[in-house]
Amino acid sequence: MIGGRVLLVVGAAAAALFAHGSAAQTTQRSTSSPAARRQFVACPIVRDTKTQPCWLAEYGGELYYLGQQGGVANDFYPPQLGHQVLVEGTVGTGRVCGGIPLQPIKVSVLKELSPSCNTILPAEDGIEAPPPIPAPRGPAPSWVRVANPGNVTLYFDFDDDFFSLHVTVALTDLAAHIMATKASRVEVVGYRAATRLSDRQVLTERAQIGAVRARKVADTLEGLGVARRVLVISAPEKPERADGVNDPWNRRVDIHIR
Amino acid sequence: MLGAVVLGAAALLVAQDHPETIAKPYTSWVEPGSGTSLPREMVFENPLGRLGVLNTAGPIDTRGHPFFEAIGANGRACVTCHQPANAMSVSVESIRERWRITAGRDPIFAAIDGSNNPRLPQELASSHSLLLDRGLFRVGLPWPPQGITPEFTIDVVRDPTGVNRDAMYGLRSASPTVSVFRRPRPAANLKYVTSPDGLFNVKLGVLMDKDPDTGLPSSMNIMADARAPSLRVQAESAYRDHQEGTHALTREQLERILGFENQIYMAQAWDTRGGSLVEPNGPLALGPANVARNPVHVLNSAKTPGFHFFDMWVSATSPPDTRSEFRASVARGNDIFINRRFWVKDVAHINSIGLANPAKRSCAVCHNAQMSGMDLAPGWVDLGTTNYPTWTESKVWSESADLPVFKLTCRTDAKPHPFLGRVIYTSDPGRALVTGRCADIGAITMQQFRGLAARAPYFSNGSAKDLRELVDYYDRRFDMRLTGQEKQDLINFLSVL
Repeated sequence: MIGGRVLLVVGAAAAALFAHGSAAQTTQRSTSSPAARRQFVACPIVRDTKTQPCWLAEYGGELYYLGQQGGVANDFYPPQLGHQVLVEGTVGTGRVCGGIPLQPIKVSVLKELSPSCNTILPAEDGIEAPPPIPAPRGPAPSWVRVANPGNVTLYFDFDDDFFSLHVTVALTDLAAHIMATKASRVEVVGYRAATRLSDRQVLTERAQIGAVRARKVADTLEGLGVARRVLVISAPEKPERADGVNDPWNRRVDIHIR
Repeated sequence: MLGAVVLGAAALLVAQDHPETIAKPYTSWVEPGSGTSLPREMVFENPLGRLGVLNTAGPIDTRGHPFFEAIGANGRACVTCHQPANAMSVSVESIRERWRITAGRDPIFAAIDGSNNPRLPQELASSHSLLLDRGLFRVGLPWPPQGITPEFTIDVVRDPTGVNRDAMYGLRSASPTVSVFRRPRPAANLKYVTSPDGLFNVKLGVLMDKDPDTGLPSSMNIMADARAPSLRVQAESAYRDHQEGTHALTREQLERILGFENQIYMAQAWDTRGGSLVEPNGPLALGPANVARNPVHVLNSAKTPGFHFFDMWVSATSPPDTRSEFRASVARGNDIFINRRFWVKDVAHINSIGLANPAKRSCAVCHNAQMSGMDLAPGWVDLGTTNYPTWTESKVWSESADLPVFKLTCRTDAKPHPFLGRVIYTSDPGRALVTGRCADIGAITMQQFRGLAARAPYFSNGSAKDLRELVDYYDRRFDMRLTGQEKQDLINFLSVL
C-alpha cells in the first residue's frame, strides 16, 4: 500500500498531505480517439462545496470537471489559481461538481503567472464534490509506470521536472533494485514532448527539458546510493511527436536496467 | 541570583498556583561567565504567566560550559541570545532592559550583528533600533552562495540601516554580502526541530540535505533559511558569526553545547488567568515535562491532534469563573487551530506542491507536527511576511521603513516564484539566499509554537509585537474572518503553549 511505503520513503509529513483523499481520478493510458479528447489551455476554476473544493475549467462553452482537492499521494494534483493549466483528458459521462468529467486526465500548471485566473465559485446547493477515496495502491498512473522492477517510466507535467510523491517512491524502489541486483548499466533516457490541442495548435516543451529530467533522475539515483558509473544518460533533442491523444505519456523518463 | 530564585519555584512544574518566588526574566538574565548553577527545573515570569524550563539531565554548573562562557571574541556566549527566561530565545523586553542596565554595553549589542550597521556610532540606541524595537539581529550572508549560480539578481532599493550599501559590509563590497535581520530561535525542545522526515523533501520532490556527520537525512528545519543541516553546523556558524570566534570549536566544546541543547525543554507552565497548566489529568500538550516526554514526529490527525486534546477544559464551570472561562477559551482556540478551514492561498511551498491553490485547509495542516506546531517536512514556506505586497512592512513610501528592501529579478529561463513571478520586492529573500532559486524567495522556516508568551515579538522579522498582531496577520492574509472572540481564543491557545 502506497501510504505505508511513503511513510518509509518520504516520511510522516507526506501523510499529512494524504489525509484528505480525493475522488478517484485514476488515470489509465488513453485509448480514446482524438474526438473524445479535450486538450486545451484555460484558467482553472475552483468551486467550494460542503466538503472538498472541486476544480473545473471551461472550454468551448462547456464546463469540465478536472478533479478535487486531495493530497500529494493522490494521482490528481489540482491546479493553481494565478496560473493557466494545460488540460489533457478524455470526455466521460454525466456531471461531477457541475462539470463534465474528463477521465483519464492530466493537468499541468503552466509556470508563468496569469493573474486573471482567479475565479472561486461559492458552494451551491445540489452541487457536491464526490466522496473522498484513498490514494492509489501502487504507482499512480499519472506519474509512474513499472513494467517490471528494472523497467520504469516516470511521467511529468508539461515543461516541468517536478518529482511527485509517487515518483520519489518509484525512484527509491528502483535504486534499491539496482543495488540489490548489482546492475552494471542503467540507461536513463529523458524526453521532451509536444501536445496537440483540441484547436489544433501544438505546444512544444522547451529545449533541454528532456536532458534536465534525465539528469535529475540520475542525480537522484546517485543520491540514493547508485554508483554514478553505471548510469548512462541520454536525451533526444527532437520532441516526441504530438498526436492529440497520447501526448501526456511522451513527457517522460525511461529507465532500463541492462 | 538566578539559581536561588528559581530553585524555590521548581515545584511549579508539577502543580502550584501561588509560588513564593518567581524569577522575572530581566532579573534572571544569565550573563556569560557568571558561573551560575541552573537547577533541573526553573520557572520565570512573563507578561502572560510563567514559563517552565526543564533540564532533563539535572542541575547544570555553567562554569566553564561553552554554552555559557564567552568563548568568542566579543564577550557573548550562546546564552546571550538564548536565555532560559525567554524560552531559550530573547525577548525585546529583556533586550531593552539590558540596554537600560548596561547603558548599551552588554555584549548582546555587539556591533557586528547587534546593531543596524557596524559602522554606526555604537553608543547610540538608534544604532541598535532593530534589536531594541524588534529583537532582530543582523545576518550577513555571502552573495552569491558558494557553488551556486543564482537564478536572480539582487538590487538594494531601500537601505534604512545603510549596511547593504556599505563599502565594507554591503552587496558591492569586496566580500559581497546581503544583510537581513532575523529573530533568534529557541534553543530548546530541539528533538522536535531536528527530527528528520525521510529520504525526500516531500514538498519539492528532491532528496533531503544530509547531516554531514551521520550521513542521515537532515530535518532541514533548523534556522530560518534551513542553511544548517545539523545542530553542530549551526553551533559552529553561530560561534563564528555571532561570537566572532576565531578558533574552531573543539570536539568537547561542541559535544557540551549540543548535549545541553538536546536536554533542555520549555513551555508555558502557568497562566495569569488560567492558573496551573500542568495539573494532573490536564491537557497532555502543556508544560515542559510533557514536551520532554512526548514522542517526536507525530503527525497531526484526528487521533493525534497537534496539541492533543483540551476536552477537560471545554466547559466553563457553573457559575463561570475567570479560570474556567479562560480554559474554555483555550479549548476553543485549539479547535479553531485544528479544525477551522479557510482558503490558504498563494503560499509558496504549500500551494505550489500539488495541494491546490487555494486549498481549503486548517492551520494544523501546515503546522502539522504534534507538540511543536512546526512542519514535519522541511517547513520553509513563503507565508508572505517578507515579500511585497503581503509583507508586514510599510505599504506606502511615507511610512517609516525599518528593514532593507531588495528587488530580485529572476532570469527568464528560471522557474519564477509560483505566485509573485520574476520581479519580487522583499525585505528578506529567506531560503533563496541559500539556494539561489526564485521559487524560494521569501520562504522562511516555520518556528515552534512553544514558550511564545516569554519571547515576543513574533515572526522571523519581529513584526508582530504580540500574539494579537500575529493572529491579525493571518486573519488578514487569508481572509479568515475571525470574530473578536475567535481571535482571543486563538491568542489564549497560543499563549499557554
